[in-house]
Amino acid sequence: MVVRFAEHARAIVRQAEEEAAEAGSPVVEAEHLLLAMTGEHGSEARDVLASAGLDRDGIRAALDREFRQSLAAAGVTLPAGGLPRASRDPARQARLAASGKLVLERALKAAAGQRQIRPGHLLLGALGAQAGTVHRALELAGVDLGDLAARARQALDRGQP
Amino acid sequence: MDVIEIRPDADPADALAAVAALRRLADQLEDVAVERAMRAGWGWPQVAEALGVTRQAVHKKHARRLIAAGVTLRRR
Repeated sequence: MVVRFAEHARAIVRQAEEEAAEAGSPVVEAEHLLLAMTGEHGSEARDVLASAGLDRDGIRAALDREFRQSLAAAGVTLPAGGLPRASRDPARQARLAASGKLVLERALKAAAGQRQIRPGHLLLGALGAQAGTVHRALELAGVDLGDLAARARQALDRGQP
Repeated sequence: MDVIEIRPDADPADALAAVAALRRLADQLEDVAVERAMRAGWGWPQVAEALGVTRQAVHKKHARRLIAAGVTLRRR
């Protein structure tokens, strides 16, 4: 059986490439996929995240906090206004980083036996990490990751055709 | 300036996250610093030597971005 990406899930991956470019990252990390889930194609993933108070700004704030705290552990403090921005390459194709690939692999597993990979499966893929930037950022933000994953599964069950 | 204290006894999760964050920070700083140097008239060989990488590596990583940004690049 071939599991296919639902149109919304495909759009999230494309949006994640935009998120990576905007962040000045040459690769699509798990956090860029998570940010993309809060957008217009987020579907049930966006709703589940919003139910935990995580809109786009909330996730960005959590990621920024994780970045600053992790740097602080190495004695590095960022300037209050953030770093200066470099010019971007408009033609660059962002590759999937290892963390992004893991999100898709876990989404594929979560969708096993179903017709399509949907945004909720991508969210389960992002929440399934036991370490890494997304995991730490959401924990720092006080998010109950197990509860959020349970809500994602419920939303997927409800949305079953 | 604050004293920079690296904590070798940090919790492994914190220590690993610090490494990941430092790599991300280094990449961002590299993009900014290479662009500023090239705008200031540096050539690829000097930028490469300053970074401790080959000229080919720094060119491959940054040339297209800087050309798109309208930076005038010196040949040598």
